[in-house]
Amino acid sequence: MKILMLGWEYPPHISGGLGTACEGLTTSLASRGIEIDFLVPKLYGEENAPHMQLLGAASGRPMDRAPIEERDPLAELIAAEPALATDPIFTAAAEAAQSQAAQPAEPGVQVLRVPAMLKPYLDQATYRELVTSGALQESAVAEIAAAQILHPLPEPPQGVTRLEHVHIPGDDLPFAEEASGEAHYGHDLFSEVARYAMSATRRVHGQKYDLVHAHDWMTFPAGIEIARRAGAPLLVHVHSLEYDRAGHGADRDIVAVEHQGLENAARVIAVSYYTRGLINRVHNAPLDKISVVHNGVYARETVEAYTEQRQSTGPVVLFLGRVTFQKGPEYFVQAAARVLEHVPDAVFIMAGSGDMLPRMKALAEDLGITESFRFPGFLRGAEVERAFSTADVYVMPSVSEPFGIAPLEAMSHDRPVIVSKQSGVSEILRNALKVDFWDVDKIASQIVALLELPELRRVIVERAREEVRNIHWDAAAEKLIPIYESVLGS
Amino acid sequence: MPSVCFYFEVHQPYRLKPYGALQVGRDHAYFDEKLNAEVLRKVANKCYLPANESMLRLIERTEGRFRISYAVTGVAIEQMKRYAPEVLDSFVRLAKTGAVEFVAETYYHSLAALYDKEEYREQIDLEMKLIKSEFGQTPRVFRNTELIYNDEIGQFISDLGFEAMLIEGADDILDWRSPNFVYRVADRETRLLAKNYKLSDDIAFRFSNQAWGEYPLTADKFAGWVHGHSGAGDVINLFMDYETFGEHQWRETGIFEFLEHLPDLLFTHPHWDILTPSQVIDRYPALGELSFHRTVSWADEARDISAWRGNAMQQRALTEIYALGSAIKRRNNSHLLALWRRLQTSDHFYYMATKSASDAEVHDYFSPYEGPYDAFIHYMNVMKDLNLSVLAPAEKRIRL
Repeated sequence: MKILMLGWEYPPHISGGLGTACEGLTTSLASRGIEIDFLVPKLYGEENAPHMQLLGAASGRPMDRAPIEERDPLAELIAAEPALATDPIFTAAAEAAQSQAAQPAEPGVQVLRVPAMLKPYLDQATYRELVTSGALQESAVAEIAAAQILHPLPEPPQGVTRLEHVHIPGDDLPFAEEASGEAHYGHDLFSEVARYAMSATRRVHGQKYDLVHAHDWMTFPAGIEIARRAGAPLLVHVHSLEYDRAGHGADRDIVAVEHQGLENAARVIAVSYYTRGLINRVHNAPLDKISVVHNGVYARETVEAYTEQRQSTGPVVLFLGRVTFQKGPEYFVQAAARVLEHVPDAVFIMAGSGDMLPRMKALAEDLGITESFRFPGFLRGAEVERAFSTADVYVMPSVSEPFGIAPLEAMSHDRPVIVSKQSGVSEILRNALKVDFWDVDKIASQIVALLELPELRRVIVERAREEVRNIHWDAAAEKLIPIYESVLGS
Repeated sequence: MPSVCFYFEVHQPYRLKPYGALQVGRDHAYFDEKLNAEVLRKVANKCYLPANESMLRLIERTEGRFRISYAVTGVAIEQMKRYAPEVLDSFVRLAKTGAVEFVAETYYHSLAALYDKEEYREQIDLEMKLIKSEFGQTPRVFRNTELIYNDEIGQFISDLGFEAMLIEGADDILDWRSPNFVYRVADRETRLLAKNYKLSDDIAFRFSNQAWGEYPLTADKFAGWVHGHSGAGDVINLFMDYETFGEHQWRETGIFEFLEHLPDLLFTHPHWDILTPSQVIDRYPALGELSFHRTVSWADEARDISAWRGNAMQQRALTEIYALGSAIKRRNNSHLLALWRRLQTSDHFYYMATKSASDAEVHDYFSPYEGPYDAFIHYMNVMKDLNLSVLAPAEKRIRL
């Protein structure tokens, strides 16, 4: 079976969990004999995907296996018309092309130059605002750090700085310049998506595929068009919905693109039953058309224990994630106030940035618990590791979480976790405490229990360590292949 | 002339309500009355009432040749009185037939045998008095909570004067011996009746399992298996939860029809009859002593006590509840004593088990909570409140 997968990113240059998920899923599919062409908007040259053919829609440069001869249109032109080589206009274009080609040598900066990377987590208005204010860098690093938690970068070649160690001061980023240049990326999210749809369609023109598998709304227009032309069935994979990110403030245009993808798909894959239900409610898609395939994770070998003394003496309760509506930070702060009545020396860390951060600081102040709170802002790389390692409890009170990988990371650090039932990951976890995000009393009660009962922590941690090791992508692939077969059979 | 011996366990715990840390110090009503009433009425309608009716009909039809035995825990009887008195009435009718024997156990279905022998003895006394007053019988036979047994327990029960005990026929204990004979407690005369777990579980666990090679199990087939033991044993002990009839195995599985036809089919072989445990020990001699190198029960694959104290949470909860014993008894308050004892019921610890695979399914089936962690959290919060709100103030008063 040969399939075309449409993605938006691929490790190591990723902005969120989507690229990591695609890598895990394709690796397990390929090991079961599925032949995959994987198409992303752009390749950076550091991707490592020996299990399939990785294609960049824009560059036209395939990776590894069956390499296609690299084409340089300028060189071809010059070869055909030697006189052009001395034409000043042409020389300028050639120089621009060359400097562009040289950019991937700076991996850390490269990612940040590509605002398109952030879109899985941004609505259009925020995107525009971030682009114009130049404030993108912080959240960009946030997403990168979060994504890399479970998928550490491979050891970089010599001379290349590892991404999470790159210091990225705000003002020396060439981001604004890049954005205004419009050489690669438009200001508008939709022109981006449309551009991908066009270049992707061109890129695979004439190829034969049994089916087209498109990940999240950014790739849906491309998927629809390619599937139509190829006469192949379309399968759309929903990792998150606009509703998850924005609630009732959802961008209607994005919702419309999602809707179109769902309408045109022969089958829909959701990352959780939670998401399946949401797709059904928000988009009215029939439930029997939506199959659930839970994500896997890459098990870490070992997690380095941090032996250093923690700053505070009291037990530490951690929130780590974007401080946005979706993540339910206010329920964490409210629960903290109730926990403190029972465990007065507890310390609450809200790590992350986001539009709700100022309101959370104000809320802590209103509740008179600022003394017990830390807002370290955005944590990267090693800081994330340290945060997990020094916490006594990790809480993810998400209002709407299609899957949610951070609790698995906390578990692999031997931390007990509390997750909201409104998260996909809660469906597959046995060794976590589960709460409704709005049930502040219950969240507080569970935190107190974990802090006061060492036996509870010990049993949860031991069993969770084993459990997280068994949440593997192979299970996802084994569920997906029969779905492929049924789509092809019908 | 070989025999079949039926024994059914009847028990319902007082389940705790979900009790969060924030309730500590504010809420002293620990049990989930609504749920407990609901469960008791549900099981009454699905099992106790129809099963008792079947048993009564079978006894009458066979003119008392069909015989059965029960242990009904004190906490189950308390809840019947409260939520479904007609169930207790139907047990009383069965008791009057003369074909039904009541065996003793602990009133609170507790693990006191493992933690507090004096408390253990008191709970057995309470149950003996209850059986006398409700059913007019003085038990000669004892069954410990969930068939938990070791030599020490056997000798303790023997010294209390019981003539026989029911035990699990665990392979590693019986070794080359068959469960289908009567044995003795090590160094005592008290008899041991070992459960034939193969035939018992064919009914209790596998009856409706369509993946089982012997499905569907008919009374005819089962009677054939029993008769197959002719000449190779004195007694086939079929011990199971009474809820097997109609609750674990739903009416739709045909379990009541199976029950209805089984006695007559067992009697088709002229040598076989059906006896109660006391009749068994009166007729058959003990073949020898059984010594236990470990503590055995009828729970889980392991047939040990890991179902109740297999993890650190269970061990902590158990240690803590039994540590309160002397403080509670000093108070000399019957309500407080009963409360403490209800918290000893083994089910609370069973819900906290973190077993895997098929064991976990069984634990989940019985648990009213979302999982073992919640079970432990509720329990420990209740313990905290009990200490803080009930016991601590009294200690202070005593010091003053």
